[in-house]
Amino acid sequence: MGIKSAINSPTLSVGGIDMTSSQWAALVIVGIIVGAAIGYLAAPKGAAECPPCPTETPAPATCPPCEAPPVKKIKAAWIYVGPIGDIGWTYAHHAAKEMVDQKYDWLETTHVESVAPAECAGVIEQLIGQGYDVIFTTSFDFMDPTLEEAQKHPDKIFWHCSGYKRAPNMGTYFADFYQVYYLNGLMAGALTQTKKIGYVAAHLIPEVVRHINAFALGVKEVCPDCKVYVREIGAWYDPTKARQAAEALISEGVDVLAFTEDSPTVVQVAQEHFERGERVLAFGHYSPMLEYGPDVCVSGQLVHWEVIYDDILSKIYSGSYNTQNLQNVDYWWKLKEGSVELGCAFNQPINPKFINELKSVRVQETIQLPNGTIIENPDVYTLVMARLIQMGAVWTGSGWVFVNDEVFDPFTGPIYDDQGTLRVMAGQRLGHDELWSMQWWVDNVVGPALGG
Amino acid sequence: MDLSVVENILWVGFRSATPLLLASLGEIYAERSGILNLGVEGMMIMGAVSAFITALTTGNPWLGVAVATAVGILMSLIHGVISIHLRGNQVVSGLALTMFGLGLSSVIGRKYVGYQLPVKARFLPKPLAEGLVKLPVIGKALFDQEPLFYLSIVIAVVLWFVLYRTKVGIVIRSTGENPAAADALGINVYLVRYACTALGGALAGMAGAYLSVAYSPAWIENMTAGRGWIALALTIFALWNPLRAIFGAYLFGVVEAGGYTLQAYGYSQWLLNGVPYLLTVIVLTAGATETMRRRMGAPAALGVPYVRGEK
Repeated sequence: MGIKSAINSPTLSVGGIDMTSSQWAALVIVGIIVGAAIGYLAAPKGAAECPPCPTETPAPATCPPCEAPPVKKIKAAWIYVGPIGDIGWTYAHHAAKEMVDQKYDWLETTHVESVAPAECAGVIEQLIGQGYDVIFTTSFDFMDPTLEEAQKHPDKIFWHCSGYKRAPNMGTYFADFYQVYYLNGLMAGALTQTKKIGYVAAHLIPEVVRHINAFALGVKEVCPDCKVYVREIGAWYDPTKARQAAEALISEGVDVLAFTEDSPTVVQVAQEHFERGERVLAFGHYSPMLEYGPDVCVSGQLVHWEVIYDDILSKIYSGSYNTQNLQNVDYWWKLKEGSVELGCAFNQPINPKFINELKSVRVQETIQLPNGTIIENPDVYTLVMARLIQMGAVWTGSGWVFVNDEVFDPFTGPIYDDQGTLRVMAGQRLGHDELWSMQWWVDNVVGPALGG
Repeated sequence: MDLSVVENILWVGFRSATPLLLASLGEIYAERSGILNLGVEGMMIMGAVSAFITALTTGNPWLGVAVATAVGILMSLIHGVISIHLRGNQVVSGLALTMFGLGLSSVIGRKYVGYQLPVKARFLPKPLAEGLVKLPVIGKALFDQEPLFYLSIVIAVVLWFVLYRTKVGIVIRSTGENPAAADALGINVYLVRYACTALGGALAGMAGAYLSVAYSPAWIENMTAGRGWIALALTIFALWNPLRAIFGAYLFGVVEAGGYTLQAYGYSQWLLNGVPYLLTVIVLTAGATETMRRRMGAPAALGVPYVRGEK
């Protein structure tokens, strides 16, 4: 209260204390608030005659209905490593977050984008301070900070994407593309005319090596003498480098390109060559990229993180997941759960422009579907559809149906590496750990030397 | 390694060098007048987003370039006011401009993520003449390019001519060398510095436009991915000379593009990719002594605010 207003205001005296009119007003407001609070606290909780729920005796009409669940809200926060507009990894996570947010009334969400790994712990602290009780961290680099925060806040739930460290209140999840890459490989093997297929890779970490190998196994099944040429650009996101790598591959005779990095550059490069009258085809990655290459994008890999987020959050809401039982919870979802999809656009597994060409190439092999149907020497279009069914995702012609069963896996032996060593024995399949630590090339890959 | 591979490295290298050249030419002028602008990345990304939105909505890539140039100028004037009139720290102001540009472009561009420019609304490399493109090795690199590629070379030559062969050039250089003396000669130091800063912004904006309407015809957040910083290194590498900037930009671009061909032969490209920066560091180190600085042409008053009447 400034001197000036004290002079200008009329002064009243109560019990010897001089008070201005505005001080009076303040006192009255405080009085009203305090009175209301006391009144609220003193009021009977619910009507006294209401029986406790659940009840068999009929309750008075004024009582709240018993079947209404307790009003519980889950506040979930996502931490992204990149910007939402990257059209890749973060874009896909964010789209999924928006979908679950809209689906559930009981869910309140927020997100923080472009978080550097060093900032992760600080951002988690802030979010917890704001009252968020489920935290999703969506980068491999966030693994250790997330674990540390999980141990520091045992009453909160944490989910880390793409890592392997867990705690009683921290689970892990990942939507894996290797089956989809294999299907892309089948098509690449059928569509190449030069028998040279290019692959632009961000970093040669086990995840990317697994995807390249799965792709190469698909190529080999259709075209045994085709080779997959790999270039590493050393960045998850750098359109200039991706373009340089793609152009280098094209100049060496490659006419089909696939990639693992976070920009649509490779599809754009292929489309540009199409505009210039040269045939270069591409497979999209992560997001629907048909827009970037309508004439060249054959198919690709699409993700549905919302399938995983939906499952996780529903189970937290129902109480099946809590802060004590996540130590062994690891989502590693693939085609059969619907967490990944084949296509360069949603609900279009193969660009119609290439279906006839795929149907004109035949593969000498016999395939048995789960229902016993046997397909002899299928064309590549039929082969892709059959493999989808064998891996639990059935394309009906207008949508997807999932059967939670796998009778086929791309990493089934015999598989030799590029040094000629037998890596997978005939008839055997690679397990989770071998796939997660993969550091060798399948024999038709021509790539940089790997560390492991 | 057969010739077509070399031809292709040059073609791709020259294309990826164009935004570096444009941005670095602008920075050369700003620095020649004494203004260090570290906001190139921010101006470039703002140019990219505004050019993309304009080209997408109007269908005219040239209009996109024009808007990007204007936006670049506006951005640079923020730095101009802070460093020329308010005499603020140019390093801090430039860094702030970069962060501001990256953030603002994300906000503006959010609605436009996921769109690709149709062919008529973008620049595609087109052969100038069949005969010229058939020239061995360099034909494709020099004569199968987007319009902005040719424009960038023309701008470089004109800027070189103005800087070294005209009175305007002398005025700019003396302003960056000794603003007090220039002032005494009747040169309006503030005006010269504003004009050069604005030119820097215009060319950085144009570089951004090249990225979003020619090179990768789409808007993707952070699509400059550090190109602005490379342009700053190139400015030093070129010793503040527009003609050397042409040479430097193509060297940077070709070295980077060539790395991926080296990978095919089993060599690591990372070492090669570091060469331009290593050369930049050598230039910087060599320039540490006063005599070398003079000989190299580094503007003596670079980064120093000018206060009229002091000293």
